[in-house]
Amino acid sequence: MARGVMLMSGGIDSPVALNFMLRQGHEMVAVHMDNRPFTDDTPLEKVVDHLAILRERYAQPIPLYVVPHGSTQVTLMRNTDRHVGCILCRRFMWRSAERIAERENATFLTTGEALGQVASQTLSNMRSATASVRLPIVRPLIGLDKQEIEREAKELGTYGISTRPGVCCQAVPDKPATRSNLIQILREEERVDVEAILDDAVRKAVLR
Amino acid sequence: MYRTLEVCSNRGGFETVPEPPRPIDLAQARHRLEAAGIAVVDARVMLIAALEAEVTISRTGRILLKTPDRAVADRTFAELQRLLDLPVAAKASQGGPRTRRKIEGLRA
Repeated sequence: MARGVMLMSGGIDSPVALNFMLRQGHEMVAVHMDNRPFTDDTPLEKVVDHLAILRERYAQPIPLYVVPHGSTQVTLMRNTDRHVGCILCRRFMWRSAERIAERENATFLTTGEALGQVASQTLSNMRSATASVRLPIVRPLIGLDKQEIEREAKELGTYGISTRPGVCCQAVPDKPATRSNLIQILREEERVDVEAILDDAVRKAVLR
Repeated sequence: MYRTLEVCSNRGGFETVPEPPRPIDLAQARHRLEAAGIAVVDARVMLIAALEAEVTISRTGRILLKTPDRAVADRTFAELQRLLDLPVAAKASQGGPRTRRKIEGLRA
């Protein structure tokens, strides 16, 4: 089986997706993009608690990298079009995950994305976001609907953790783009120093 | 005019919006907050300030107080109101403590 990197948000979907990968026998490394101060402490607390359940269930250490993402958000908000902020944000998340994958000798990336769950989770946005990385991306939940994912989360024991109170991401624009144009995304991204941002974020990542 | 603090959609904090709409001059708000010794992150379309609870101030006038604690939200909003001369007070309606965020590293 392969070694992969799983992006963990603290939400309902990502622990379910991670469970699917572990169940298949893959060796997984978790990455959490720490969005403070645009969120509060709860997403990280939830990820830690999700991993405690999965570590015990599979008797695996499942390393967790916490990558600071708040300063990246500040840079994006100051320099780029807010309308495409979520896509740019996700491009940096994917790139950070890929950097961690290189460090951990992992060969693929994974998320809990499912089509159409939120306005920004469209095919064109997924394409615009993932065009930033080279490693293959596995989305175990892509064809599931919300009820199916919630049922899995309840059986796994992570649903109650995911639904604890918390502050939503404050960097989300009022009207996020639902149909993005990769050319426009790349043009916006030219306004910031991608490599410097990534180097800084990954260098400051903390392993837990 | 800010009338009430309401629990935000994910129940992790309180928010309030001015009625009728009343944008906030973020440059001026940042200046006032920093003059009072408060750490501020300036993200162009919003400020994040470390008062007793961490506060997000949008240029639209929307204010989010990142605490589920009613008393902390009330005190924080009162302090913000004093610092920024925001019109009229608010009452909150939920409880529970929250750690104050350290945001010095993100200061402009």
